[in-house]
Amino acid sequence: MSIFESKKLGEMAVGTKIVVYGVLGIWTFIVLFPLYWVLITSFKLPIAVSGGPFYLPFVDFLPSLHAWSYIFFDLGNDTFRPYFNSVVVAVFSTLLVMITGSLAAYALSRFTFRPRLLTILIFILAVALVIVLVAALGVNWLIAVTVGVALAVIGAGMFRRTPSPTLGNPDILFWMISQRIFPPVVAAIPIYVMFQQVRLLDTHVALILTYTAVNLPIVVWLMYDFFVSIPKDLEESAELDGASRIRIFFEIILPLSKPGLVATSLLVLIFSWNEYLLALFLSTANAQTMPLLVAAQNATRGPQWWYMSVLIIIMIVPVILLALVLQRFIAKGLLVGAVKG
Amino acid sequence: MEHTPLETWQTRAVDWFDRHSGRLFVLPASLLILAFSIFPLIISAWLALSRFKLGSEGYELIFVGWNNFRKLLFGSEQYHLLGTFMPTSWLGWLIVAAAIVLIGWGIRSFVTSGHVTVMGTIGRLIAFGLFAALAWLFAATIGDKGQIGSLSTTIFYVFLGVAIQFVIGAGLAFLCSLRIRGRSFFRVVFFVPLMVTPVGIAYTFRMMADMTVGPISPLWHWLGLGGFSWATNAWSARLVVVLGDSWQWIPFMFLVMLAAFESQPKDELEAAELDGASGFQIFVDITWPSVAPVAATIVLIRMIEAFKIVDLPNVLTNGGPGIASESLTLHAFMQWRALDLGASAAISYVLLFTSTIICVSFFNFVVNPARRARQ
Amino acid sequence: MAIRLLFPGALMAGVAAMGFAGSAWAGEFDGVTVNVITFTGPQIAEPMQRRAPDFEKLTGAHINVITVPFSDLYQKILTDWSTGTNSLDAGVFAPQWMVDYVTPGLMEDLSPRVEADAALKLDDIGAFFRDFSMKFAGKTYTITLDGDFQMVYYRTDVAKELGLGAPQTWDDYIAFAKAANGKDMNGDGKPDFGSCIAKKRNAQSYWMVTSVAGAYLQSMGTSQGAFFDVRDMKPLVNNEAFAAALAVYSETTKYAPPDEINLDVGDTRNLFTSGQCALTIDWGDIGTLAIDPEKSKVIDKVGAVILPGSAKVLDRDTGKLVDCTANICPHAIDGVNHAPFAAFGGWSGGINAKADPKVKDAAYAFFSYMSAPEQSNVDVTIGITGFNPYRLSQFQGLDNWSKAGMSEAAAKDYLGAIEASLNSPNMVLDLRIPNNQKYQQIVLDTAIARMLAGEIDIPTTMKTIEDGWNEITDEVGRDNQLTAYKSTIGAN
Repeated sequence: MSIFESKKLGEMAVGTKIVVYGVLGIWTFIVLFPLYWVLITSFKLPIAVSGGPFYLPFVDFLPSLHAWSYIFFDLGNDTFRPYFNSVVVAVFSTLLVMITGSLAAYALSRFTFRPRLLTILIFILAVALVIVLVAALGVNWLIAVTVGVALAVIGAGMFRRTPSPTLGNPDILFWMISQRIFPPVVAAIPIYVMFQQVRLLDTHVALILTYTAVNLPIVVWLMYDFFVSIPKDLEESAELDGASRIRIFFEIILPLSKPGLVATSLLVLIFSWNEYLLALFLSTANAQTMPLLVAAQNATRGPQWWYMSVLIIIMIVPVILLALVLQRFIAKGLLVGAVKG
Repeated sequence: MEHTPLETWQTRAVDWFDRHSGRLFVLPASLLILAFSIFPLIISAWLALSRFKLGSEGYELIFVGWNNFRKLLFGSEQYHLLGTFMPTSWLGWLIVAAAIVLIGWGIRSFVTSGHVTVMGTIGRLIAFGLFAALAWLFAATIGDKGQIGSLSTTIFYVFLGVAIQFVIGAGLAFLCSLRIRGRSFFRVVFFVPLMVTPVGIAYTFRMMADMTVGPISPLWHWLGLGGFSWATNAWSARLVVVLGDSWQWIPFMFLVMLAAFESQPKDELEAAELDGASGFQIFVDITWPSVAPVAATIVLIRMIEAFKIVDLPNVLTNGGPGIASESLTLHAFMQWRALDLGASAAISYVLLFTSTIICVSFFNFVVNPARRARQ
Repeated sequence: MAIRLLFPGALMAGVAAMGFAGSAWAGEFDGVTVNVITFTGPQIAEPMQRRAPDFEKLTGAHINVITVPFSDLYQKILTDWSTGTNSLDAGVFAPQWMVDYVTPGLMEDLSPRVEADAALKLDDIGAFFRDFSMKFAGKTYTITLDGDFQMVYYRTDVAKELGLGAPQTWDDYIAFAKAANGKDMNGDGKPDFGSCIAKKRNAQSYWMVTSVAGAYLQSMGTSQGAFFDVRDMKPLVNNEAFAAALAVYSETTKYAPPDEINLDVGDTRNLFTSGQCALTIDWGDIGTLAIDPEKSKVIDKVGAVILPGSAKVLDRDTGKLVDCTANICPHAIDGVNHAPFAAFGGWSGGINAKADPKVKDAAYAFFSYMSAPEQSNVDVTIGITGFNPYRLSQFQGLDNWSKAGMSEAAAKDYLGAIEASLNSPNMVLDLRIPNNQKYQQIVLDTAIARMLAGEIDIPTTMKTIEDGWNEITDEVGRDNQLTAYKSTIGAN
């Protein structure tokens, strides 16, 4: 009997077990080693980095707290302010994106939409008009937006009966996810101009709104699968009892989808927590977030590995703790969504 | 029972709200996405056709038509975007042959499928056209003296990166879905790289890949490679970028695929095991079909993100050696930093065009069939 | 203990206050807040943050130092000022960027203020910075806070061992690098390298090329220019002189770490200060870094020297290399033409033209305060400030330097090299015409990177740069660019 054959049904053979644990062990090492390196780098003096490679504190090199004291005491508020900003922006944008995103995902999973191409075209023309009015003619943006909305509504009403091809729910879903294709480098300038016009640059609001928009497609896409998998009978009986849609959503659907909500929230929370490029544009002094501080450690004198390592570590720790607490949900959360794919 | 006017107004509002709840639910999300997508899209289309110039009154945009695109596709920046063209080598011919076979197979299966529609034909024409063009581009630039441009480099990153990430991510997920001890430990540990900020990962990998003072440099010297640096060779530099990218994104694949593996039909599995089917047989017959739709979806999402790769090449190599590891987004980013906003927007449109067609094709030819097969 | 620690600080503040007592600004800016942007240091930002409270005590103006990552500073200022956001009142940045801020009228002309300002001690500032770096088209727009030009650093112990002197020409440099390469220079038993130059693409390496090429290209003084022919804006990049410079530049790669083309300035500095390189090209920073016991294994083993020169220079009419004569190389020393390169130009403070008048005055007062000898002469000796010497008085007393931990010999050597560069009438001014990023960071940098990677050979490299530069010049307008170029280098 070979070691790769199992003795009992549903149990692994010893040989298989060794292989499986071997592979998982190697991967654990691959995942953790770079982080270990970051951790010990944060305790190295510059000379221990450039004289390198040194692996073991106390054995290879004498650890020093110089980088930690620089980040926490010398920089002090210059570390805590971005940290606070990151927390505020990540938490609120996650809340906002989860609410708007799951509302949309729920609607897409329960109602059939048939948006007409013609209406969409009118809308795009209205947006273009607003841009021309503001950018080229210098009209106040409030007036321009009002004119745009009015024209769009009138236009849509006028061509109401004109025949036009329509789109379906899958098209809307794909349209939403396709919004992530556009490279942020180019989107950044227009978004900057937009917030400049409404005087929201360098505020939390600007970052929260931007991250909400950027992460919306992911939430809609993941939560859609989740809602589809929830049986409809519950809602139907509630509806017969006279409950409104919004009540059904908040009181029946959301509690049922807790794991999915948690898993998706964690994912978008991580994305907003770590975002760099848009934050760079939209914040100057007050709203700067942590990733900017990490990138800033590479200045004229080359990367300050020791400071950077400290910042990377203090950025991961809360997320790891959160992931540990929510661990149970993460597994279940993506599970139900995955059933239907 | 009589209603006061106020109550009527309230009930009416609630009624109205309830009737239109579907639209109202979608509205905030749609408006947000529209505001943050259509507006930038139009502005940058305008930028792509202009030259940005600092004038006496702040800045001005001078309309230059297709100039930016012409320069990139045919002019002085062609080597940068598309590559340096050289006579086709044997590798090139191999790529051409493979492309012809693939496209032929695609056309054949479409014609014999019995669902030949106008939209389907147009879609396939565009998709196959782009595929053929890209294959020709690779074939014409990959030879000895040739040099692939940022477009081809990006596609290399996307396809190799996503493939590695999917295979390793799914493989690990499959192992973790087996009945073994310590699953929750692995689950959390494997998730960790995703939590590190991408800029941080890029710098971490620069430390790791340092062949003078990095942790693997002794091993490198021991192997007798001390005189060679990955950063000086085009393909090894690209490969290191892919490795860094994979380290970060394997967890994403892992998590979703783990969920998929854990949700495969338990009863079918047990029945098959009782029947004495081999592990491999079970995987092919039951496991794979049940996870295929999720796999297709997750690969699509990952592909969309992978086209925008920028942090890693920017920090690891700054696009070097030469321009070898420069991705399209990095190319656009560099032009943008040098204030050539027009070229930057034009490059982004090339990226948008290519990735949209590839992703839509993937959605239609892979994701949708996988989902339909499941239903 | 606490008292002893406090005392020097109090004394310094007191001295500073006295130095400023007679100024016109005392208590004048109560309630004014100035937003000053620079990159996230600690360099440059540190001295400003440290001195802001003293300044506030003196004048009442609150200085709010805003920092962004170095790589994005240029864009950040430009976007803020050109789109009319104007949340930044002043900035400390590279004077090279000035042209893009001055041409659209975004920067305040500081000439009247500078003329009326006795505390600034303008005469004490090195002539190069006073006459070129701070000015654009004849007007003063920035206050220099930092002196930046490149020098060559070499290991004095290695030189002694090899029986070589400090490199005077680029050929000497190559010979030195070749002889030293492969020796163990820091006692760790591993072979070290002859030369470490930051050659990473899209970083700071395009300055290194010009540092090498300068001596071959420019011999008649700063106003001759090293980038274009001032007669017709013909790029000086496709000729025997540039070819010779590129050959030297490529040759140094042979005696360098294998991943040299992926090394940025920070990496080469670490390599040099940890004793792994015999030679490097760098700004003044290595002088102060090399005496920092936390970072350096080469304390008192570092010599500095003006950028090596060449005995042959470019003849602009023929494009050939010709021997130096008294006519062609009026500034040559022992027949060798040196052209120190003011790469980057030194961090300088400039003011937003759209800021509130009171805020502008306060911002100017702050820069003047930072640059005044009372403050500056201390700051340039402290490594963390990132400030390098640029005032004549900074070369006189060695007290501040020995206080900072430099031995007398090292200080003399270091300051000697800086002084020699600073006094050179043949200093190469960095390119400051509109679109200079495109000329340097895109066209030049990419072509050199491709050459080093072996993608293209030297003739193709030169042709590519020439074509690329001509294309930009024609796009922007040849006459405009020529006028701009001449006005920046002060040519007629």
